[in-house]
Amino acid sequence: MSARQHAGRRMGDHLILAAVMVLALLWIAPLAWVFALSFKPNAFLAQHTDVVLGAPYTLKNYTDILGTSSVFRWIANSCIVSVTQTLLTLVLCSLAGYGFARTAFPGQKALYVFVLAGLAVPEQAVVIPLHRLFADLDLHNTYSGLILPRLAAPFGVFLMTQYFKAIPKDIEEAALLDSTPRWKIFLRIVLPLSIPAQATLGIFTFLTAWNDYLWPLISASKPDMYTLTLGLAATQSNFAQSEGIGYLMAQAVFAGLPIFVIYLFFQKHIVSAVAGTTVR
Amino acid sequence: MCICLMKPGLPGMPHKGAAMTTTLSALPAAARASSQPKVKGVQHWSNALFVLPFVLVYIALLVVPVVTGLWLSLNDVDVLSGDRAFIGLANFARLWHDDIFRGAIRNTFLFVLMTTPAFVALGLALALALNRQDRVGTALRTIFFGSSVLSVTIVTLVWRLVFMTDKGLLANVMHSLGLASINPLTSSALALPAIALVTVWWIIGLPMMLFLAALQQIPEEIYEAAAMDNAGRWRTFWSITLPQLRKTVALVAIIEVILQFQLFGQAQLMTNGGPNNSSRPLVQFIYEAGFQQWALGYSAAAAQVLFGLMLIGVALQMWISKRGQTQSGEST
Amino acid sequence: MAGIQLVGVNKRYGGTEIIPEFNLEIESGEFLVFLGPSGCGKSTLLRMIAGLEPVSAGQIRIGGQDVTASAPGERDLAMVFQHYALYPHMTVRENMAFGLRNVNVPAAEIDRRITEAARMLELEGMLARKPIQLSGGQRQRVAIGRAVVKEPGAFLFDEPLSNLDAALRNRTRVELARLHQRLKTTMVFVTHDQVEAMTLASRIVVMNRGRIEQMGTPIEIYRKPATRFVAGFIGSPAMNFIDAIPVAAEADCIKVRLADGTELQTGVPTQAARKDAKLVAGVRAESLTLDDASPVRGRADVIERLGERTLVYVTLSNGHSVVAQAHRESPVASGDLVGLHFEPEHVHLFDEAGLAWHAA
Ligand SMILES: Nc1ncnc2c1ncn2[C@@H]1O[C@H](COP(=O)(O)OP(=O)(O)OP(=O)(O)O)[C@@H](O)[C@H]1O
Ligand SMILES: [Mg+2]
Repeated sequence: MSARQHAGRRMGDHLILAAVMVLALLWIAPLAWVFALSFKPNAFLAQHTDVVLGAPYTLKNYTDILGTSSVFRWIANSCIVSVTQTLLTLVLCSLAGYGFARTAFPGQKALYVFVLAGLAVPEQAVVIPLHRLFADLDLHNTYSGLILPRLAAPFGVFLMTQYFKAIPKDIEEAALLDSTPRWKIFLRIVLPLSIPAQATLGIFTFLTAWNDYLWPLISASKPDMYTLTLGLAATQSNFAQSEGIGYLMAQAVFAGLPIFVIYLFFQKHIVSAVAGTTVR
Repeated sequence: MCICLMKPGLPGMPHKGAAMTTTLSALPAAARASSQPKVKGVQHWSNALFVLPFVLVYIALLVVPVVTGLWLSLNDVDVLSGDRAFIGLANFARLWHDDIFRGAIRNTFLFVLMTTPAFVALGLALALALNRQDRVGTALRTIFFGSSVLSVTIVTLVWRLVFMTDKGLLANVMHSLGLASINPLTSSALALPAIALVTVWWIIGLPMMLFLAALQQIPEEIYEAAAMDNAGRWRTFWSITLPQLRKTVALVAIIEVILQFQLFGQAQLMTNGGPNNSSRPLVQFIYEAGFQQWALGYSAAAAQVLFGLMLIGVALQMWISKRGQTQSGEST
Repeated sequence: MAGIQLVGVNKRYGGTEIIPEFNLEIESGEFLVFLGPSGCGKSTLLRMIAGLEPVSAGQIRIGGQDVTASAPGERDLAMVFQHYALYPHMTVRENMAFGLRNVNVPAAEIDRRITEAARMLELEGMLARKPIQLSGGQRQRVAIGRAVVKEPGAFLFDEPLSNLDAALRNRTRVELARLHQRLKTTMVFVTHDQVEAMTLASRIVVMNRGRIEQMGTPIEIYRKPATRFVAGFIGSPAMNFIDAIPVAAEADCIKVRLADGTELQTGVPTQAARKDAKLVAGVRAESLTLDDASPVRGRADVIERLGERTLVYVTLSNGHSVVAQAHRESPVASGDLVGLHFEPEHVHLFDEAGLAWHAA
């Protein structure tokens, strides 16, 4: 390649990067705008929303949230639901994944196919029967009602089975020769080795549960049982006659912040979990 | 693999044996995996105990509801009295003639047609531009992926504020350009495209990351060889990168089709299907029929239609996956 | 310390028979090597002994007891795997202790054994490390150490050296020999590397397609390969094979006419050999030397100078290629016309069934 061509290519690289940076600015503009205005008084915002920088500032919108709304209750609900669902999913899927990947029992293959078939079922196809079932069991507006349905999703089983299959068999065989009982091989050898997969599945389950909307909308009708995601939907349903724009903006920031911090914290894991999805 | 049950947030595969100090045996993995140490029939049935808890939950909360849903779709169910009558395919016939349902189908397809090409094209473009190992790349990837972790209610709240009549960010920008401001959410022509825009903004991170992962699989040597052969930027893209990404493009497209078919929260929260039903998607139709009009049988029938459409999508996805596998199998 | 008996052991995967019928008596304290080409069933055999693979038929006894139905952990064996199979999340010490804790060996005893094994294998400074922090050779020593501390009735090795580089392989080989001398425990070792087999084994079992081809001490197998397969498999460079037909016998030993028309007097007794119409003469390079007086002539085309000796690749007049050995400072050059001298007492004859006949 000639020096000229080379220089041209370098130029091109810079231009592309500049374009992407501009796009990135556009990308965060809505969030930045909402964030900045959430610190302005409602009365001021009723007049101008075009002054982003400069006075006046206030924290009143945030103190209002803390003082008046059930937002803490919703955060607590979201935590309880997401954490429980994550833990239960990890337990169920690890056990099942190990059973499918590393043990043998009659009918195993057929059962695995039967479980994987569930991947094709969209959530919306089962919400009506589930709603009736949970109504019969009197589980609506309970934590169990919010947690249980997603435990049936076979994705985690698929993920764990794949992962366990990839763990070299000779490690388990060495353990067998070391007189290790099955349950102990599972707990002491295989489980510790599967921590990367547990992290992936855990993060994924947590995010999904935290952001879940359709099922909580259907199952939790009492504001006391709202998750944060659902509660936020309820406050914006009366968008027009709400307490003011600033208050809404502060709510968006307040609700988005926890999950965003988690994202920044676990970014590597989240991204590599997603990148690893390259469906082979 | 299918992620149709998932909200954008997303699944992952383990890095095979990342924690291992050893490599897999050269023997065919399948052959190896099937030769479990079974000592004369001991432990056979007991091994099923590992999968039992999940399978019970799965049957109770997924299989049974799927079957019940199918059955409900053939019935007329009265919620208040609890009466139920078998009416065969009457619900489906009624759907066929229901203008709102047909509108919902039309909106859903339109939405998929608007978003999927955008996800593929923009996702690929971003991946190409951000496939770099420096801080700038990392920071930009963080930005474009970051919005994916927000819940649908936060995203819609932010964007409703942005689109707000006269006072929103969009209105401000248009004013400053000397244009008349509009709120796209109140226009039947613009509501659905606006929802599509918000959706792309929300979860462009997924296709971007999928493309990035695929790009990183392409061996660096191929690019070095192309450079030796004097291939320019476009030539390299068209004759090296794109052919290598064919399978990923197809998969991203189909994954997005499956995901976007399930459009619900954005539409319900931003326009509630309006104005004039111009943005009501299929899932919202199911939700309203089932949980606002309590026409359970009717709603279940609409859900079966969605299920059927998605099955087609999943079948396509599996077909592409398989084909991709045999192709890469041949080349290695 | 325990002997191992395989009685009528058969292994099939679905329809394909990997091992038809295997009978073998491994003596207590011996170092037995299974040697054979890739895919001949060596690993399968070893894994059946370990209990990691069920037998399709037959019986396995260890120390006189039938263990065919016992779990791997109950067989009093230790195994060293090709890829080490160390537990990656445990330290070296924990790796060694794990199996002992499982059978409730007292903590003090565990410590004693680990300390001793670590000293013996020069792992003393590394007990607190994880496998990932070790070099390949060190990992292999840990894998051996993990087997040693169990003080098993027998050791099983499945190609434990194949993952090491050449220098390390030699060193570890010597360490293993030393280990066997010290412990005097039964060792069963699988390899497809004939040098490992020759140097380590007190007895070699040469396998081919699931069957025993020959069994014997390394020297027996080298000197008197029972079949053409063994003759070709053992020794480097591989034995030369030349088509031959017997001619009228003079004296007590068979005389053959080689493919290039020259006649060769062998040391194989006449009455020993079957009178097949066609034979194959086999001779190792070291018994085929350059001799200008010899009637067997050819052209040297490649000369390999190995330092302690020189290998000469010679094309005979009929186009057949053989490899001969010359003195390390032999002046032979590529293109030279050379004569080849066969040492009669080291010429083997193989009949059409592949069975070998040796000089008396
Ligand atoms: N689970 C299995 N199912 C079917 N065939 C198998 C299985 N495991 C091994 N085999 C076959 O059994 C034969 C013997 O395999 P084995 O692993 O014992 O060979 P080996 O002698 O150890 O070879 P290598 O030196 O390459 O390790 C091979 O032909 C192999 O393909
Ligand atoms: Mg082997």
